Amino acid sequence: MAAHDSEGSILVFAQFQSKVDEGFWHRLSSLKLNKLGIDDSPIPITGFYAPWSHPQVPNNLTLLAQSLPTELSEQSSTAATSHGNRNRCPVQGTLYNMNTIESFHALDKKNLLKEEAKKIWDDMHTGKAVEDSALLSRFLLISFADLKNWTFHYWFAFPALVLDPPATLVDLRRASEYFSLEEAESVSAACNEWRNSSFTAEVPFFLVSIDPNSQATVKHLKDWETCQSDGHKLLFGFYDPCHLPNNPGWPLRNFLALICVRWSLKSVRFLCYRENRGFADLGLSLVGEALITVSQGWREHQCLPNAVGWEHNKGRQVSRCINLAKSMDPTRLAISAADLNLKLMRWRALPSLNLDALSSIKCLLLGAGTLGCQVARMLLAWGVRKITLLDNGRVAMSNPLRQSLYTLDDCLNGGEFKATAAVKSLTRIFPAVDAEGIVMAIPMPGHPVPNHEEDSVLEDCRRLHDLIDSHDAVFLLTDTRESRWLPTLLCANTNKITITAALGFDSFLVMRHGAGPFSSNHDFRAEAANALSAIGNVARIDSDGRQRLGCYFCNDVIAPIDSTANRTLDQQCTVTRPGLAPIASALAVELLVGILHHPQGIFADGEVANSSSNGSSEQPLGILPHQIRGSLSQFSQMMLVGHSSNSCTACSSTVVSEYQERGMEFIIQAINHPTYLEDLTGLTELMKSASSFNLDWDNETDLEEDDDCVQV
Amino acid sequence: MCKMQESASTMVEGYLSLENIILRSIEEEHDELSCPQKEETSCSEKEELIDIATLVQSNCSKVPYYDLHIIYSASYRVPVLFFRAYYGDGEPLGFNEIEKDLPAHSAKALLDSKWMFITQEEHPYLNRPWFKLHPCGTSEWMKLLFHVDVSVAKNGVTVELYLLSWLSVVGQVVGLRIPLEMLNQQ
Repeated sequence: MAAHDSEGSILVFAQFQSKVDEGFWHRLSSLKLNKLGIDDSPIPITGFYAPWSHPQVPNNLTLLAQSLPTELSEQSSTAATSHGNRNRCPVQGTLYNMNTIESFHALDKKNLLKEEAKKIWDDMHTGKAVEDSALLSRFLLISFADLKNWTFHYWFAFPALVLDPPATLVDLRRASEYFSLEEAESVSAACNEWRNSSFTAEVPFFLVSIDPNSQATVKHLKDWETCQSDGHKLLFGFYDPCHLPNNPGWPLRNFLALICVRWSLKSVRFLCYRENRGFADLGLSLVGEALITVSQGWREHQCLPNAVGWEHNKGRQVSRCINLAKSMDPTRLAISAADLNLKLMRWRALPSLNLDALSSIKCLLLGAGTLGCQVARMLLAWGVRKITLLDNGRVAMSNPLRQSLYTLDDCLNGGEFKATAAVKSLTRIFPAVDAEGIVMAIPMPGHPVPNHEEDSVLEDCRRLHDLIDSHDAVFLLTDTRESRWLPTLLCANTNKITITAALGFDSFLVMRHGAGPFSSNHDFRAEAANALSAIGNVARIDSDGRQRLGCYFCNDVIAPIDSTANRTLDQQCTVTRPGLAPIASALAVELLVGILHHPQGIFADGEVANSSSNGSSEQPLGILPHQIRGSLSQFSQMMLVGHSSNSCTACSSTVVSEYQERGMEFIIQAINHPTYLEDLTGLTELMKSASSFNLDWDNETDLEEDDDCVQV
Repeated sequence: MCKMQESASTMVEGYLSLENIILRSIEEEHDELSCPQKEETSCSEKEELIDIATLVQSNCSKVPYYDLHIIYSASYRVPVLFFRAYYGDGEPLGFNEIEKDLPAHSAKALLDSKWMFITQEEHPYLNRPWFKLHPCGTSEWMKLLFHVDVSVAKNGVTVELYLLSWLSVVGQVVGLRIPLEMLNQQ
């Protein structure tokens, strides 16, 4: 109840403002996870503040990582406060960190404030607050740390004992207007000295004594009695974090209460000490006079006065909330680090790098073995986020050595499915990857399907069709030739970017398939295309009139057959020199990136060497070959171009249109009768005519030599 | 417990720091509209006591503060500027927000230059993610800076002079200006 006082208006204080450094929440999170667990007993913490010194904003009570104790021990209630410096005056506080948002809301805030205020009240009466004046600015913090979402709910309270009736303000003006010039000079010097000494810089409440010669000295509060006796002018000074010209800062509240309790003064002259760039500034500092008119009863120790001090948030008394996922969630940090890495590449070396294309492309990897694992990792490194792996095998004991996504654990108990283990591994490497594993076998020609399995094989075919349809680029990374047939056909049908990698013992092939036979780079009318193809042998040429690049099968003269039967053990295990798979996989991914950056994409011509004379390539990423054949025994690599074959069993227009017409029926026929494909594409005819040629030639030679078959 | 080797050197590693800097002058009140809607507790706690001695301030000024650290990079062998930004209540600024806050000319310089760009990395001492001006171009442009200075060719470069010159370039990115008096001292 404010008694209307004729002498002046109610002294109104500006609230302390809080600032919590992100390092504090980080430290609290680790403490919670590693030490505290569900223990929610109060924790002693240290806050820091300093006199106001920035032109436009107030100083705050700051919490940093070092605000939390380094050791949480039994006697935690009296833990030593952290060291500060002249810009960080340490202040004791108590943290109540709750385990649930409900218990956070359910805290009895009035009571907590009262408890903390009582500590200050007791310190005032026992004299501790005079010895260690920073105790006057004790504070309270309640919080709830949601460590799943990295969201922190919190609320500060700066307990202030309420004078009843409230203090009134007689006078408030700039210190430079209050002091004489001499006095001002001396006060500034004395304050700067106080602030520069490591013994006193952290003491936020003090006395300013000015002798008749205008010489000022700054003293500790405990020297008050001696100051009384020499009768000098005395001001009560304190570090004022507030920046407002008409209001003193919050610490003055408890200071006045202390003065009232200890020394029963009714009139108090105070100095709100403020700085500018680290030096005392009496133009910004304020000097005022307050009148305290509380009753005798108010000062009794056992009568704890009311306390206020919960921090206002945007003018209302509510808690605050801050989300720090961006700087604390490890997954987010990994994502931004990966993105920055790619951006670095773009800034430094490759301004035309299309990071969006890379992060949005959907890649399907058929095969999760030596090639599949490496290709997946390379794709991740290029910023590809959507990777699907298809493989029907399980991880075997010999795999982890060469298949870089697997470890021994994946081999135990019969071995995990490769597709599943690969996805887990990719997610461990980069949590933001969108990886999917499909356990499925690829139907292959030359491996006839028994009747009872036909339905499931048809199902697999359809599934493969849909998978290819829903991705943008397909890598053929299986270990047999025939397993690449169906995917090649399906990719040619939908004109998807297709990249094949195949390994020999010490040689490899990496190639990109050409566009499908019915695709077009331009807006050509179908009639024109048909007219062209009517002039025999031009099915190779797409609607643009240019030759398509070939696929993996274009150079074959026989259809894919069962290559796994009748092989020796070493042939079945596809033994290769270990260096091959990483080289081939890396080239396969670089080839994909090249396609994505080429203006013609899948329709790009195959380049063999850099044709430009001055050495710099037309495209920033360099040339875009069609086929790369490498040999480890020679440490060499050469680039070839092969155009599509009219009689290709996988990508010729004959085969693709047959598939378009008859769908799965055609597939099953091709799988069960491999010669069917040869017949369909005219390869049978071709072979017959080739052999008949030979017969004519060899008329005069030995019959035995005719039996030498040349395997192609 | 591992045995500490006796170190011949008594030098301690550290870094230079300049903290709680506000880079631009604060526009009054216009930030009011851009205050993001933060999740508030549904339960607003009311104090029983309405205290007339408390000044209630309702302005929501979202002023970004910057902490700037200069740390020596052993691998690049040049000083590196680390920095971070946060609002008055401690909420950190993301890279996009910093870009908007940086002086306009420096943002353009960053985009055009192939010598300077900002990456995010663990602060080597504080182990928290900070932004830094990537140092890979530093020794190149520092060489250019000193190339034209005849006295340097004769006397070499002191650490102070190096740092000042370095800061005069790097500081532009965050809008720090070195007073001419400092540069004139030798």
